[in-house]
Amino acid sequence: MKFLLFRLWNYARGYVIIIVEGFFIEKFINICARRRILLWNVRIQKEHRVTARMSISGFRLIRPVARKTGCRVRLLKKTGLPFVFNKYRRRKAFFAGAVLFFILLNVLASFIWSIEISGNERLETAFIEDVLAGNGIKPGRLKYGIDTRATVDRMMLEIGRISWISINIRGTKVKVQIREREDIPEIVPRHIPCDVIAQRDGIVKQIIATEGIEAVAEGQTVKKGQVLISGRIPVKGSEEQYRHVHAMGTVKARTWYEAEVPVVFTETERLRTGRMIKDHSLILFSKKLDLIRRKNRFSEYTTEETRKKLTISEDLVFPFEWVVVTRYEVTSVQASIRETDAREKAAEEAYKEALELVPEGAEIIEENIYFTEEDGKLTARAILECVEDIGLSRRIGGN
Amino acid sequence: MAKSNPGNTNAKPGKGRNRKGTIKKSFREKFTELLELPKDLLLDRPKLTLIGCRDMMIENYKSVLEYGVGYMRVKTGSGIVRITGNNLVIREISHDDIIISGTVHSVEFTDAG
Repeated sequence: MKFLLFRLWNYARGYVIIIVEGFFIEKFINICARRRILLWNVRIQKEHRVTARMSISGFRLIRPVARKTGCRVRLLKKTGLPFVFNKYRRRKAFFAGAVLFFILLNVLASFIWSIEISGNERLETAFIEDVLAGNGIKPGRLKYGIDTRATVDRMMLEIGRISWISINIRGTKVKVQIREREDIPEIVPRHIPCDVIAQRDGIVKQIIATEGIEAVAEGQTVKKGQVLISGRIPVKGSEEQYRHVHAMGTVKARTWYEAEVPVVFTETERLRTGRMIKDHSLILFSKKLDLIRRKNRFSEYTTEETRKKLTISEDLVFPFEWVVVTRYEVTSVQASIRETDAREKAAEEAYKEALELVPEGAEIIEENIYFTEEDGKLTARAILECVEDIGLSRRIGGN
Repeated sequence: MAKSNPGNTNAKPGKGRNRKGTIKKSFREKFTELLELPKDLLLDRPKLTLIGCRDMMIENYKSVLEYGVGYMRVKTGSGIVRITGNNLVIREISHDDIIISGTVHSVEFTDAG
């Protein structure tokens, strides 16, 4: 390691390889050492002849030493950066380009060029980008002077629907991570009187009130919002007076979820003909420059876009982007499907759609798929029968 | 003699001067031993370090006396060190230290003082 550094340092400083010939080579070496002219890799070639390496500044001081000791010094090779630079000394544009490169690299690396938002499920990315831009974080802004902590606090207040947010500036990229707040139903505090109402339509299967009076009977059809367990208990002997309690209990009901999907007997397939057009464009600082743009000759086509961003590693993104838009010519081919296959496909889709409607905690007790024909059109219908707790607390007098 | 030049007793020939010289030397040596000071620095002694048989470092050398094919003679405070070996190369030479690499066969002190 030490020698590697030593060699790198010597390369940066530049050195020469010399041949020393004479009868008093030892004297030459001693005088060099005494005059602090650093010599290294002194290698004996044959009797009275050595090769050695020395610094450029040392080489300038060597002439009197050589004369004093009667040695002949020949220059064998020049190595190192100073000689490389010397070679290109007259090429000013080359140097200007090299300097400009480093300046530009630094300048470009001090701006924000991309924003990466992750963790948002319901909030739209564009909306978060807008809020970020409102707080001064947007592509093209100088990355210095951004107070991420203050921005985090402001974002929390402005968006409101998030439980956690973190903003990190990495290279030219801003990484925003978000955790959305879960919407939980309002819980009525224990000491406040309330009713238990129906969350959705259904047929009551079982009702057990632990507090309050059962307002519906088993087997009764209930509508959404209907009071199932009442928190108003009439006081005995009085018609008008009521005692208010915090009604509680479980109300199990049968509910139905259904979805419809039409059965399709033909399927359109788009096949590529093999002909395509490629458009090239360059995006510089969010400005699009069309380099190659050709006329569209196809009546039917699909497009595909590939973007290549100039990046160093993952985080240092530069505002240059190469966009290739490829248009493939396609022809539509109508293919007919067998009836059994078509029915099966539609039934499956309907079942999947219905399943998505079933809330968490509901138990599916029956699955039915029907086919109905209307005006010559066949439709698949999936009906899922469930048993679930439909009770929901609501303050008395509230909604 | 003592009467005419009392201050010049030290310059007496024979036993006295000899003893004086040895006393002076042993005093310095004793002094460094007493204080546990590094001998190579105070007594102008060389420090030879051999790493295997490939690299050798001589600190506190005086001068290179001879450098030939397969051997080298280095003058130090403890006499002349003669090194023989194959492909002996002076890796680095500065005012105080010399680093030699190659395959060292022997290291011997000649003309030890």
